Amino acid sequence: MKRDLIISTVFRIISYFAFLVVVFIFLTTIIDGLQYFSWEFFTQSPSKGMTAGGVFPAIIGSIYMLLLSLLFAIPIGLMTGIYLSEYGGNSKLAELLLTAITSLAGVPSVVFGLFGLAMFSIAFGFRTSILSGSLTLAIMTLPVISSSVHEALNSIPRDIRESAYALGAKKTEVIFKVLIPYAKLRVLTAILIGGGRIIGETAPVLLTGAIFYATRMPDSVMDPTMTLPTHIYYITMAYGDKAQWMAKGTISVLMLFVLIIYSIAFVIRGRMQKIK
Amino acid sequence: MIENPVIRVKNFTGYYGEKAGVKDINVDFGKNKITAIIGPSGCGKSTLLRSINRMNDNIPVYRTEGEILFEGQNINERGVDLTKFRKKVGMVFQRPTPFPMSIYDNITFGPKLHGIKRKSQLDEIVETSLRQASLFDEVKDDLKKSAWGLSGGQQQRLCIARALAVDPEVILLDEPTSALDPIATKHIENLVEELVAKYTIIIVTHNLAQAVRISDYMLFMFQGDLIEYGKTSDIVKQPKDPKTEEYLTGKIS
Repeated sequence: MKRDLIISTVFRIISYFAFLVVVFIFLTTIIDGLQYFSWEFFTQSPSKGMTAGGVFPAIIGSIYMLLLSLLFAIPIGLMTGIYLSEYGGNSKLAELLLTAITSLAGVPSVVFGLFGLAMFSIAFGFRTSILSGSLTLAIMTLPVISSSVHEALNSIPRDIRESAYALGAKKTEVIFKVLIPYAKLRVLTAILIGGGRIIGETAPVLLTGAIFYATRMPDSVMDPTMTLPTHIYYITMAYGDKAQWMAKGTISVLMLFVLIIYSIAFVIRGRMQKIK
Repeated sequence: MIENPVIRVKNFTGYYGEKAGVKDINVDFGKNKITAIIGPSGCGKSTLLRSINRMNDNIPVYRTEGEILFEGQNINERGVDLTKFRKKVGMVFQRPTPFPMSIYDNITFGPKLHGIKRKSQLDEIVETSLRQASLFDEVKDDLKKSAWGLSGGQQQRLCIARALAVDPEVILLDEPTSALDPIATKHIENLVEELVAKYTIIIVTHNLAQAVRISDYMLFMFQGDLIEYGKTSDIVKQPKDPKTEEYLTGKIS
Protein backbone atom coordinates (compact mmCIF):
# COMPACT_ATOMS: atom_id res chain seq x y z
CA MET A 1 0.00 0.00 0.00
CA LYS A 2 2.71 2.38 1.00
CA ARG A 3 4.69 1.56 -2.10
CA ASP A 4 1.64 2.19 -4.28
CA LEU A 5 1.26 5.59 -2.71
CA ILE A 6 4.89 6.51 -3.31
CA ILE A 7 4.82 5.38 -6.92
CA SER A 8 1.55 7.15 -7.67
CA THR A 9 2.87 10.34 -6.08
CA VAL A 10 6.05 10.19 -8.15
CA PHE A 11 4.05 9.70 -11.33
CA ARG A 12 1.75 12.52 -10.39
CA ILE A 13 4.63 14.92 -9.78
CA ILE A 14 6.26 13.99 -13.07
CA SER A 15 3.06 14.49 -15.03
CA TYR A 16 2.38 17.82 -13.32
CA PHE A 17 5.90 18.81 -14.25
CA ALA A 18 5.28 18.00 -17.92
CA PHE A 19 2.08 20.01 -17.79
CA LEU A 20 3.85 22.94 -16.15
CA VAL A 21 6.54 22.97 -18.85
CA VAL A 22 3.87 23.22 -21.54
CA VAL A 23 2.01 25.98 -19.73
CA PHE A 24 5.28 27.80 -19.07
CA ILE A 25 6.32 27.72 -22.71
CA PHE A 26 2.96 28.93 -23.96
CA LEU A 27 2.57 31.64 -21.33
CA THR A 28 6.07 33.11 -21.51
CA THR A 29 6.23 33.15 -25.31
CA ILE A 30 2.77 34.60 -25.72
CA ILE A 31 3.04 37.18 -22.94
CA ASP A 32 6.53 38.22 -24.00
CA GLY A 33 5.29 39.28 -27.41
CA LEU A 34 1.92 40.74 -26.48
CA GLN A 35 3.38 44.20 -25.79
CA TYR A 36 4.31 44.57 -29.48
CA PHE A 37 0.80 43.91 -30.73
CA SER A 38 -0.72 46.87 -32.49
CA TRP A 39 -2.95 47.59 -35.43
CA GLU A 40 0.12 48.12 -37.63
CA PHE A 41 1.68 44.87 -36.46
CA PHE A 42 -1.20 42.87 -37.90
CA THR A 43 -1.87 44.92 -41.02
CA GLN A 44 1.46 46.08 -42.41
CA SER A 45 4.56 44.59 -44.00
CA PRO A 46 7.88 44.85 -42.19
CA SER A 47 9.85 47.99 -43.06
CA LYS A 48 13.13 49.77 -42.32
CA GLY A 49 15.19 46.56 -42.25
CA MET A 50 12.72 44.63 -40.09
CA THR A 51 12.73 47.25 -37.36
CA ALA A 52 9.28 48.67 -38.01
CA GLY A 53 5.93 47.72 -39.53
CA GLY A 54 4.21 44.40 -39.02
CA VAL A 55 3.91 40.78 -40.02
CA PHE A 56 0.76 40.81 -42.14
CA PRO A 57 2.34 38.97 -45.10
CA ALA A 58 3.66 36.22 -42.82
CA ILE A 59 0.24 35.68 -41.22
CA ILE A 60 -1.43 35.44 -44.60
CA GLY A 61 1.38 33.18 -45.90
CA SER A 62 1.04 30.81 -42.97
CA ILE A 63 -2.71 30.58 -43.43
CA TYR A 64 -2.28 29.89 -47.15
CA MET A 65 0.23 27.15 -46.42
CA LEU A 66 -1.97 25.61 -43.75
CA LEU A 67 -5.12 25.52 -45.85
CA LEU A 68 -3.46 24.35 -49.03
CA SER A 69 -1.52 21.57 -47.36
CA LEU A 70 -4.68 20.35 -45.59
CA LEU A 71 -6.43 20.44 -48.94
CA PHE A 72 -3.88 17.91 -50.20
CA ALA A 73 -3.44 15.92 -47.01
CA ILE A 74 -7.08 15.40 -45.98
CA PRO A 75 -8.36 13.48 -49.03
CA ILE A 76 -5.22 11.36 -49.37
CA GLY A 77 -5.06 10.73 -45.63
CA LEU A 78 -8.74 9.78 -45.53
CA MET A 79 -8.40 7.39 -48.43
CA THR A 80 -5.28 5.77 -46.98
CA GLY A 81 -6.92 5.36 -43.58
CA ILE A 82 -10.09 3.92 -45.11
CA TYR A 83 -8.06 1.51 -47.21
CA LEU A 84 -6.04 0.33 -44.23
CA SER A 85 -9.04 -0.24 -42.02
CA GLU A 86 -11.70 -1.44 -44.44
CA TYR A 87 -10.01 -2.98 -47.46
CA GLY A 88 -6.45 -3.90 -46.60
CA GLY A 89 -7.21 -6.47 -43.93
CA ASN A 90 -4.08 -8.45 -43.25
CA SER A 91 -2.74 -8.18 -46.80
CA LYS A 92 0.95 -7.61 -47.53
CA LEU A 93 0.21 -4.26 -49.13
CA ALA A 94 -1.66 -3.01 -46.06
CA GLU A 95 1.13 -4.15 -43.79
CA LEU A 96 3.70 -2.42 -45.96
CA LEU A 97 1.62 0.74 -46.04
CA LEU A 98 1.24 0.77 -42.28
CA THR A 99 4.99 0.36 -41.80
CA ALA A 100 5.63 3.14 -44.31
CA ILE A 101 3.23 5.49 -42.53
CA THR A 102 4.74 4.77 -39.14
CA SER A 103 8.25 5.34 -40.47
CA LEU A 104 7.17 8.52 -42.24
CA ALA A 105 6.10 9.91 -38.88
CA GLY A 106 9.65 9.47 -37.60
CA VAL A 107 11.47 11.23 -40.43
CA PRO A 108 13.08 14.53 -39.32
CA SER A 109 11.41 17.57 -40.84
CA VAL A 110 14.56 18.85 -42.52
CA VAL A 111 14.64 15.64 -44.54
CA PHE A 112 11.10 16.34 -45.70
CA GLY A 113 12.34 19.78 -46.63
CA LEU A 114 15.17 18.44 -48.74
CA PHE A 115 12.86 15.91 -50.34
CA GLY A 116 10.35 18.64 -51.15
CA LEU A 117 13.12 20.80 -52.58
CA ALA A 118 14.36 18.02 -54.85
CA MET A 119 10.93 16.71 -55.80
CA PHE A 120 8.53 19.63 -56.01
CA SER A 121 10.76 22.69 -56.38
CA ILE A 122 13.26 21.19 -58.82
CA ALA A 123 12.01 17.98 -60.45
CA PHE A 124 8.40 19.19 -60.85
CA GLY A 125 9.58 22.74 -61.54
CA PHE A 126 7.34 24.37 -58.92
CA ARG A 127 10.37 26.40 -57.69
CA THR A 128 10.22 28.03 -54.28
CA SER A 129 6.49 28.48 -53.97
CA ILE A 130 3.44 28.07 -51.78
CA LEU A 131 2.62 24.98 -53.84
CA SER A 132 5.99 23.29 -53.18
CA GLY A 133 5.79 24.20 -49.50
CA SER A 134 2.22 22.95 -49.04
CA LEU A 135 2.89 19.69 -50.84
CA THR A 136 5.89 19.08 -48.60
CA LEU A 137 3.87 19.87 -45.48
CA ALA A 138 1.03 17.70 -46.74
CA ILE A 139 3.36 14.71 -46.95
CA MET A 140 4.50 15.43 -43.41
CA THR A 141 0.95 15.43 -42.03
CA LEU A 142 -0.20 12.43 -44.01
CA PRO A 143 0.88 9.90 -41.36
CA VAL A 144 -0.97 11.81 -38.63
CA ILE A 145 -4.21 11.94 -40.58
CA SER A 146 -4.16 8.48 -42.14
CA SER A 147 -3.21 6.64 -38.98
CA SER A 148 -5.86 8.46 -36.98
CA VAL A 149 -8.52 7.68 -39.58
CA HIS A 150 -7.36 4.08 -39.50
CA GLU A 151 -7.58 3.91 -35.72
CA ALA A 152 -10.89 5.76 -35.54
CA LEU A 153 -12.51 3.38 -38.02
CA ASN A 154 -10.98 0.34 -36.37
CA SER A 155 -12.37 1.28 -32.98
CA ILE A 156 -15.99 1.36 -34.19
CA PRO A 157 -17.87 -1.58 -32.62
CA ARG A 158 -18.54 -4.48 -34.96
CA ASP A 159 -22.28 -4.30 -34.22
CA ILE A 160 -22.50 -0.86 -35.80
CA ARG A 161 -21.11 -2.07 -39.12
CA GLU A 162 -23.25 -5.16 -39.01
CA SER A 163 -26.40 -3.18 -38.29
CA ALA A 164 -25.82 -1.30 -41.51
CA TYR A 165 -25.06 -4.47 -43.45
CA ALA A 166 -28.17 -6.10 -41.98
CA LEU A 167 -30.31 -3.33 -43.47
CA GLY A 168 -28.95 -4.24 -46.89
CA ALA A 169 -26.21 -1.64 -47.18
CA LYS A 170 -23.25 -2.31 -49.44
CA LYS A 171 -19.69 -1.90 -48.28
CA THR A 172 -19.22 1.62 -49.69
CA GLU A 173 -22.54 2.67 -48.19
CA VAL A 174 -21.53 1.31 -44.81
CA ILE A 175 -18.20 3.17 -44.97
CA PHE A 176 -19.40 6.54 -46.19
CA LYS A 177 -22.86 6.75 -44.63
CA VAL A 178 -22.20 5.19 -41.24
CA LEU A 179 -18.53 4.68 -40.39
CA ILE A 180 -17.17 8.03 -41.54
CA PRO A 181 -19.91 10.01 -39.76
CA TYR A 182 -19.25 7.86 -36.70
CA ALA A 183 -15.53 8.61 -36.75
CA LYS A 184 -15.99 12.23 -37.82
CA LEU A 185 -15.08 13.97 -34.57
CA ARG A 186 -11.98 11.87 -33.98
CA VAL A 187 -10.77 12.49 -37.50
CA LEU A 188 -11.46 16.20 -37.15
CA THR A 189 -9.41 16.31 -33.96
CA ALA A 190 -6.51 14.59 -35.71
CA ILE A 191 -6.70 17.03 -38.62
CA LEU A 192 -6.57 19.97 -36.22
CA ILE A 193 -3.58 18.55 -34.36
CA GLY A 194 -1.91 17.95 -37.73
CA GLY A 195 -2.76 21.56 -38.61
CA GLY A 196 -1.17 22.76 -35.39
CA ARG A 197 2.03 21.08 -36.45
CA ILE A 198 1.91 22.37 -40.02
CA ILE A 199 1.62 25.99 -39.00
CA GLY A 200 4.74 25.82 -36.85
CA GLU A 201 6.96 23.85 -39.24
CA THR A 202 10.06 25.79 -40.21
CA ALA A 203 12.71 23.69 -41.93
CA PRO A 204 10.56 22.21 -44.72
CA VAL A 205 9.05 25.57 -45.55
CA LEU A 206 12.43 27.28 -45.42
CA LEU A 207 13.66 24.95 -48.14
CA THR A 208 10.61 24.88 -50.38
CA GLY A 209 8.29 27.82 -50.04
CA ALA A 210 9.54 30.70 -47.95
CA ILE A 211 11.32 33.94 -48.69
CA PHE A 212 12.56 36.29 -46.03
CA TYR A 213 10.91 39.40 -47.32
CA ALA A 214 7.94 40.19 -49.51
CA THR A 215 6.50 43.58 -50.14
CA ARG A 216 3.48 42.27 -51.97
CA MET A 217 1.02 39.44 -51.43
CA PRO A 218 1.53 36.27 -53.47
CA ASP A 219 -0.51 36.33 -56.69
CA SER A 220 -0.85 32.58 -56.99
CA VAL A 221 0.28 29.32 -55.42
CA MET A 222 3.33 29.50 -57.67
CA ASP A 223 4.68 32.50 -55.73
CA PRO A 224 6.84 32.15 -52.64
CA THR A 225 5.59 33.64 -49.39
CA MET A 226 6.62 34.73 -45.93
CA THR A 227 5.38 32.53 -43.08
CA LEU A 228 5.38 33.07 -39.32
CA PRO A 229 7.96 30.43 -38.31
CA THR A 230 10.42 31.24 -41.11
CA HIS A 231 10.05 34.95 -40.36
CA ILE A 232 11.07 34.27 -36.76
CA TYR A 233 14.01 32.24 -37.96
CA TYR A 234 15.27 34.90 -40.39
CA ILE A 235 15.01 37.71 -37.89
CA THR A 236 16.81 35.91 -35.09
CA MET A 237 19.52 34.63 -37.41
CA ALA A 238 20.22 37.58 -39.63
CA TYR A 239 19.06 40.81 -38.03
CA GLY A 240 20.39 42.99 -35.29
CA ASP A 241 19.04 43.80 -31.86
CA LYS A 242 16.72 46.46 -33.20
CA ALA A 243 14.69 43.79 -35.05
CA GLN A 244 14.37 41.29 -32.21
CA TRP A 245 11.12 42.78 -30.91
CA MET A 246 9.50 41.66 -34.14
CA ALA A 247 10.61 38.08 -33.61
CA LYS A 248 9.09 38.13 -30.12
CA GLY A 249 5.82 39.53 -31.45
CA THR A 250 5.75 36.98 -34.23
CA ILE A 251 6.37 34.10 -31.82
CA SER A 252 3.45 35.37 -29.82
CA VAL A 253 1.19 35.39 -32.89
CA LEU A 254 2.33 31.90 -33.90
CA MET A 255 1.80 30.45 -30.45
CA LEU A 256 -1.66 32.00 -30.29
CA PHE A 257 -2.51 30.33 -33.59
CA VAL A 258 -1.30 26.98 -32.26
CA LEU A 259 -3.14 27.50 -28.99
CA ILE A 260 -6.39 28.30 -30.79
CA ILE A 261 -6.11 25.29 -33.09
CA TYR A 262 -5.34 22.94 -30.21
CA SER A 263 -8.10 24.41 -28.05
CA ILE A 264 -10.65 23.71 -30.78
CA ALA A 265 -9.29 20.16 -30.99
CA PHE A 266 -9.66 19.67 -27.25
CA VAL A 267 -13.15 21.13 -27.17
CA ILE A 268 -14.17 18.66 -29.87
CA ARG A 269 -12.52 15.82 -28.00
CA GLY A 270 -14.41 16.80 -24.85
CA ARG A 271 -17.71 16.88 -26.70
CA MET A 272 -16.92 13.51 -28.19
CA GLN A 273 -16.45 11.95 -24.78
CA LYS A 274 -19.73 13.39 -23.61
CA ILE A 275 -21.64 11.86 -26.51
CA LYS A 276 -20.33 8.33 -26.10
CA MET B 1 -43.57 -30.72 -37.57
CA ILE B 2 -43.63 -27.00 -38.22
CA GLU B 3 -46.40 -25.60 -40.36
CA ASN B 4 -45.59 -22.94 -42.88
CA PRO B 5 -41.82 -22.80 -42.45
CA VAL B 6 -40.28 -19.52 -43.64
CA ILE B 7 -36.73 -20.65 -43.10
CA ARG B 8 -35.57 -24.22 -43.47
CA VAL B 9 -32.12 -25.24 -42.37
CA LYS B 10 -30.94 -28.51 -43.91
CA ASN B 11 -27.80 -30.43 -42.95
CA PHE B 12 -26.18 -27.11 -42.25
CA THR B 13 -22.63 -26.92 -40.94
CA GLY B 14 -20.70 -23.69 -40.43
CA TYR B 15 -16.94 -23.76 -40.12
CA TYR B 16 -14.56 -21.17 -38.71
CA GLY B 17 -11.44 -22.38 -40.47
CA GLU B 18 -11.22 -26.06 -39.55
CA LYS B 19 -13.46 -25.87 -36.52
CA ALA B 20 -17.20 -26.34 -36.91
CA GLY B 21 -19.19 -23.68 -35.06
CA VAL B 22 -22.47 -25.46 -35.76
CA LYS B 23 -22.75 -29.06 -36.91
CA ASP B 24 -25.28 -30.66 -39.21
CA ILE B 25 -28.27 -28.60 -38.16
CA ASN B 26 -31.76 -29.45 -39.39
CA VAL B 27 -34.53 -27.15 -38.33
CA ASP B 28 -37.54 -25.26 -39.67
CA PHE B 29 -38.62 -21.86 -38.43
CA GLY B 30 -42.37 -21.31 -38.53
CA LYS B 31 -44.11 -18.27 -39.91
CA ASN B 32 -45.36 -15.78 -37.31
CA LYS B 33 -43.80 -17.72 -34.49
CA ILE B 34 -41.20 -16.73 -31.95
CA THR B 35 -38.42 -19.28 -31.89
CA ALA B 36 -35.82 -18.99 -29.16
CA ILE B 37 -32.34 -20.40 -29.61
CA ILE B 38 -30.86 -21.23 -26.24
CA GLY B 39 -27.77 -22.92 -24.89
CA PRO B 40 -24.59 -22.22 -22.96
CA SER B 41 -21.94 -19.72 -24.18
CA GLY B 42 -20.07 -20.92 -27.24
CA CYS B 43 -22.73 -23.49 -28.16
CA GLY B 44 -23.15 -22.03 -31.64
CA LYS B 45 -26.46 -20.24 -31.17
CA SER B 46 -25.15 -16.92 -32.48
CA THR B 47 -23.37 -18.66 -35.35
CA LEU B 48 -26.65 -20.25 -36.41
CA LEU B 49 -28.53 -16.96 -36.13
CA ARG B 50 -25.85 -15.04 -38.03
CA SER B 51 -25.85 -17.64 -40.77
CA ILE B 52 -29.52 -16.97 -41.43
CA ASN B 53 -28.81 -13.51 -42.85
CA ARG B 54 -25.24 -14.30 -43.94
CA MET B 55 -23.75 -11.93 -41.38
CA ASN B 56 -20.72 -14.21 -41.16
CA ASP B 57 -19.85 -13.39 -44.78
CA ASN B 58 -17.58 -10.72 -43.37
CA ILE B 59 -15.49 -13.29 -41.52
CA PRO B 60 -12.92 -14.43 -44.07
CA VAL B 61 -12.38 -17.92 -42.65
CA TYR B 62 -16.07 -18.74 -42.35
CA ARG B 63 -17.56 -21.26 -44.79
CA THR B 64 -20.69 -23.33 -44.85
CA GLU B 65 -22.01 -26.72 -45.97
CA GLY B 66 -25.62 -27.74 -46.42
CA GLU B 67 -28.49 -25.38 -47.10
CA ILE B 68 -30.49 -22.61 -45.57
CA LEU B 69 -33.65 -21.99 -47.53
CA PHE B 70 -35.58 -18.75 -47.31
CA GLU B 71 -38.93 -19.00 -49.07
CA GLY B 72 -37.60 -22.01 -50.92
CA GLN B 73 -34.36 -20.46 -52.12
CA ASN B 74 -30.90 -21.39 -50.88
CA ILE B 75 -29.51 -18.17 -49.47
CA ASN B 76 -25.91 -19.24 -49.88
CA GLU B 77 -26.24 -19.78 -53.59
CA ARG B 78 -24.21 -17.68 -55.97
CA GLY B 79 -26.11 -14.78 -57.43
CA VAL B 80 -28.29 -14.12 -54.39
CA ASP B 81 -28.76 -10.36 -54.15
CA LEU B 82 -27.64 -9.74 -50.57
CA THR B 83 -29.19 -6.27 -50.47
CA LYS B 84 -32.61 -7.56 -51.43
CA PHE B 85 -32.29 -10.64 -49.25
CA ARG B 86 -31.26 -8.73 -46.14
CA LYS B 87 -34.16 -6.35 -46.64
CA LYS B 88 -36.40 -9.33 -45.92
CA VAL B 89 -34.40 -10.66 -42.98
CA GLY B 90 -33.68 -7.91 -40.47
CA MET B 91 -31.43 -8.12 -37.45
CA VAL B 92 -31.09 -6.43 -34.06
CA PHE B 93 -27.94 -6.82 -32.01
CA GLN B 94 -26.86 -7.28 -28.44
CA ARG B 95 -26.02 -3.70 -27.71
CA PRO B 96 -28.09 -0.88 -29.19
CA THR B 97 -26.46 0.39 -32.36
CA PRO B 98 -27.94 3.76 -33.23
CA PHE B 99 -26.14 5.40 -36.13
CA PRO B 100 -24.59 8.84 -35.50
CA MET B 101 -27.53 10.76 -36.93
CA SER B 102 -31.01 11.89 -35.98
CA ILE B 103 -33.79 9.52 -34.94
CA TYR B 104 -35.54 10.27 -38.22
CA ASP B 105 -32.44 9.54 -40.30
CA ASN B 106 -31.80 6.32 -38.42
CA ILE B 107 -35.23 5.04 -39.43
CA THR B 108 -35.02 6.22 -43.03
CA PHE B 109 -31.50 4.86 -43.50
CA GLY B 110 -32.76 1.47 -44.72
CA PRO B 111 -35.67 2.68 -46.85
CA LYS B 112 -33.39 5.19 -48.59
CA LEU B 113 -30.89 2.44 -49.40
CA HIS B 114 -33.71 0.61 -51.10
CA GLY B 115 -34.63 3.59 -53.23
CA ILE B 116 -37.46 5.30 -51.36
CA LYS B 117 -37.01 9.05 -51.78
CA ARG B 118 -40.40 10.72 -51.41
CA LYS B 119 -40.55 12.74 -48.22
CA SER B 120 -44.20 11.95 -47.52
CA GLN B 121 -43.54 8.25 -47.88
CA LEU B 122 -40.48 8.42 -45.62
CA ASP B 123 -42.45 10.39 -43.02
CA GLU B 124 -45.08 7.70 -43.03
CA ILE B 125 -42.49 4.92 -42.64
CA VAL B 126 -40.92 6.74 -39.71
CA GLU B 127 -44.22 7.07 -37.89
CA THR B 128 -45.37 3.51 -38.59
CA SER B 129 -42.06 1.92 -37.62
CA LEU B 130 -41.76 3.94 -34.44
CA ARG B 131 -45.35 3.14 -33.50
CA GLN B 132 -44.73 -0.55 -34.11
CA ALA B 133 -41.69 -0.36 -31.85
CA SER B 134 -43.85 1.52 -29.31
CA LEU B 135 -41.43 4.42 -29.32
CA PHE B 136 -43.37 7.00 -31.28
CA ASP B 137 -45.06 8.78 -28.38
CA GLU B 138 -41.76 9.16 -26.54
CA VAL B 139 -39.83 10.69 -29.44
CA LYS B 140 -42.39 12.28 -31.77
CA ASP B 141 -41.23 15.80 -30.90
CA ASP B 142 -37.53 14.95 -31.07
CA LEU B 143 -37.29 13.21 -34.45
CA LYS B 144 -34.58 15.60 -35.59
CA LYS B 145 -32.48 15.07 -32.46
CA SER B 146 -29.50 12.75 -32.30
CA ALA B 147 -30.35 9.13 -31.60
CA TRP B 148 -27.41 9.04 -29.20
CA GLY B 149 -29.41 11.10 -26.72
CA LEU B 150 -31.94 8.31 -26.11
CA SER B 151 -31.75 5.89 -23.18
CA GLY B 152 -30.43 2.37 -23.73
CA GLY B 153 -33.89 0.85 -23.86
CA GLN B 154 -35.16 3.53 -26.23
CA GLN B 155 -32.10 3.05 -28.43
CA GLN B 156 -32.82 -0.65 -28.68
CA ARG B 157 -36.44 0.00 -29.63
CA LEU B 158 -35.15 2.49 -32.19
CA CYS B 159 -32.98 -0.27 -33.64
CA ILE B 160 -36.03 -2.52 -33.82
CA ALA B 161 -37.96 0.28 -35.53
CA ARG B 162 -35.06 0.75 -37.94
CA ALA B 163 -35.14 -2.95 -38.79
CA LEU B 164 -38.92 -2.80 -39.31
CA ALA B 165 -38.65 0.22 -41.58
CA VAL B 166 -37.44 -1.85 -44.54
CA ASP B 167 -40.51 -4.06 -44.21
CA PRO B 168 -38.83 -7.40 -43.46
CA GLU B 169 -40.48 -10.77 -43.08
CA VAL B 170 -38.11 -12.23 -40.54
CA ILE B 171 -36.45 -10.48 -37.61
CA LEU B 172 -33.36 -11.95 -36.01
CA LEU B 173 -32.67 -10.82 -32.45
CA ASP B 174 -29.23 -11.54 -31.05
CA GLU B 175 -29.57 -11.27 -27.26
CA PRO B 176 -31.43 -7.99 -27.67
CA THR B 177 -31.92 -7.35 -23.95
CA SER B 178 -28.59 -8.43 -22.51
CA ALA B 179 -27.39 -4.83 -22.17
CA LEU B 180 -30.67 -3.49 -20.76
CA ASP B 181 -32.17 -3.05 -17.31
CA PRO B 182 -35.18 -5.18 -16.24
CA ILE B 183 -37.80 -2.56 -17.09
CA ALA B 184 -36.41 -1.92 -20.55
CA THR B 185 -36.13 -5.69 -21.00
CA LYS B 186 -39.80 -6.16 -20.14
CA HIS B 187 -40.66 -3.45 -22.63
CA ILE B 188 -38.77 -5.23 -25.43
CA GLU B 189 -40.31 -8.58 -24.53
CA ASN B 190 -43.83 -7.15 -24.75
CA LEU B 191 -42.92 -5.59 -28.03
CA VAL B 192 -41.62 -8.86 -29.47
CA GLU B 193 -44.86 -10.56 -28.47
CA GLU B 194 -46.82 -7.91 -30.36
CA LEU B 195 -44.61 -8.00 -33.43
CA VAL B 196 -44.99 -11.72 -33.97
CA ALA B 197 -48.47 -11.17 -35.36
CA LYS B 198 -46.83 -9.67 -38.43
CA TYR B 199 -43.29 -11.05 -38.46
CA THR B 200 -41.40 -14.27 -37.96
CA ILE B 201 -39.04 -13.86 -35.03
CA ILE B 202 -35.92 -15.79 -34.11
CA ILE B 203 -34.27 -14.77 -30.88
CA VAL B 204 -31.00 -15.88 -29.35
CA THR B 205 -31.02 -15.41 -25.64
CA HIS B 206 -28.92 -16.19 -22.62
CA ASN B 207 -31.88 -15.63 -20.43
CA LEU B 208 -33.75 -18.91 -20.08
CA ALA B 209 -36.68 -17.34 -18.26
CA GLN B 210 -37.05 -14.91 -21.14
CA ALA B 211 -37.07 -17.71 -23.68
CA VAL B 212 -39.75 -19.53 -21.71
CA ARG B 213 -41.84 -16.37 -21.34
CA ILE B 214 -41.98 -15.29 -24.93
CA SER B 215 -41.17 -18.13 -27.32
CA ASP B 216 -43.50 -20.52 -29.11
CA TYR B 217 -40.72 -22.85 -30.12
CA MET B 218 -37.40 -23.54 -28.54
CA LEU B 219 -34.16 -24.83 -29.90
CA PHE B 220 -31.49 -26.04 -27.52
CA MET B 221 -27.91 -26.21 -28.70
CA PHE B 222 -24.83 -27.62 -27.06
CA GLN B 223 -21.25 -27.57 -28.38
CA GLY B 224 -22.37 -26.89 -31.93
CA ASP B 225 -25.04 -29.57 -32.02
CA LEU B 226 -28.77 -29.12 -32.06
CA ILE B 227 -29.84 -31.18 -29.07
CA GLU B 228 -33.56 -30.61 -28.93
CA TYR B 229 -36.19 -28.69 -30.80
CA GLY B 230 -39.90 -28.37 -30.20
CA LYS B 231 -42.75 -26.39 -28.69
CA THR B 232 -41.47 -24.39 -25.75
CA SER B 233 -44.21 -25.67 -23.49
CA ASP B 234 -43.38 -29.27 -24.33
CA ILE B 235 -39.65 -28.86 -23.79
CA VAL B 236 -40.08 -27.08 -20.50
CA LYS B 237 -42.56 -29.67 -19.27
CA GLN B 238 -40.69 -32.70 -20.46
CA PRO B 239 -37.28 -32.38 -22.05
CA LYS B 240 -36.36 -35.45 -24.09
CA ASP B 241 -32.63 -35.15 -23.85
CA PRO B 242 -30.77 -35.30 -20.51
CA LYS B 243 -28.54 -32.40 -21.69
CA THR B 244 -31.59 -30.20 -22.15
CA GLU B 245 -32.81 -31.09 -18.72
CA GLU B 246 -29.43 -30.29 -17.21
CA TYR B 247 -29.52 -26.91 -18.92
CA LEU B 248 -33.08 -26.15 -17.88
CA THR B 249 -32.33 -27.04 -14.29
CA GLY B 250 -29.19 -24.96 -14.26
CA LYS B 251 -26.67 -27.80 -14.01
CA ILE B 252 -24.90 -26.59 -17.15
CA SER B 253 -24.81 -22.98 -18.13
